[in-house]
Amino acid sequence: MGLLELLSALLLLVGAGFYLAGTVGLLRFPDVYTRLHALTKADNLGLGFLTLGLALQAESLAAVLKLLLIWPLVLAASAAVSYAIARRAQRLGIKPWRRPSES
Amino acid sequence: MSAILVRGLLFALVWWILAGGRADGWGVGLVFVVLALLVSLRLNPPGQGHLSLPGLFGFVGFFLVQSVRGGVQVAAMALRPRLALAPAQLEIGLRLPPGPATRMLTATLSLLPGTLSVQLEGDRLRLHALDGRLPIEAEVRAAEMRIARLFGVRL
Repeated sequence: MGLLELLSALLLLVGAGFYLAGTVGLLRFPDVYTRLHALTKADNLGLGFLTLGLALQAESLAAVLKLLLIWPLVLAASAAVSYAIARRAQRLGIKPWRRPSES
Repeated sequence: MSAILVRGLLFALVWWILAGGRADGWGVGLVFVVLALLVSLRLNPPGQGHLSLPGLFGFVGFFLVQSVRGGVQVAAMALRPRLALAPAQLEIGLRLPPGPATRMLTATLSLLPGTLSVQLEGDRLRLHALDGRLPIEAEVRAAEMRIARLFGVRL
């Protein structure tokens, strides 16, 4: 295994780890707003590592650029969609979950 | 005129990338490049000022570092055995001029550590924070400054 493959495998694993954490957050976090945090941050970072890892294995310049283009495009979509969901939740009057005060 | 040329070339480059560098798809590609150009000119007419190139590099660097911070922070929160969330909502008055700059900031903040944009109205932005005990406003101001530089605006 060459150094490039090793680095690529490492990046893919790190990416998968962030996806896992994002999904755990989606399942564990208490309301729509906190869940959006998990998706927009952990999953996006996971995708960044994933595309970087795959780009190291790509066979042509166009393939590398395509993989690197995916990240900002998904980020833009992710930011727009999470804003749309959060704003709609707010309009529907969904109150953000608050930590129960410890008395 | 130059805006049309620059955008056209940019969309052609994107098509070339999407087509994987192959030459036989340019017929379809040309149609989509023209369509993308028309949509872009309609949604974002030229002549609203230029993006600054040094500002762009600064923003990208800032964004990459913050993305890692945000991802690590939320991953750590999700994986802790006991959830330590302390969400809060806050409203911040932006200093950026309303329009593309505030929209860009709204989108960016959702991807940065601890903040989620909930509603932008004029220059007032309502945010949801994962942990209200963190210095949210300072982070917002830092992002705002980067975006001001990107758009060549003085705050």
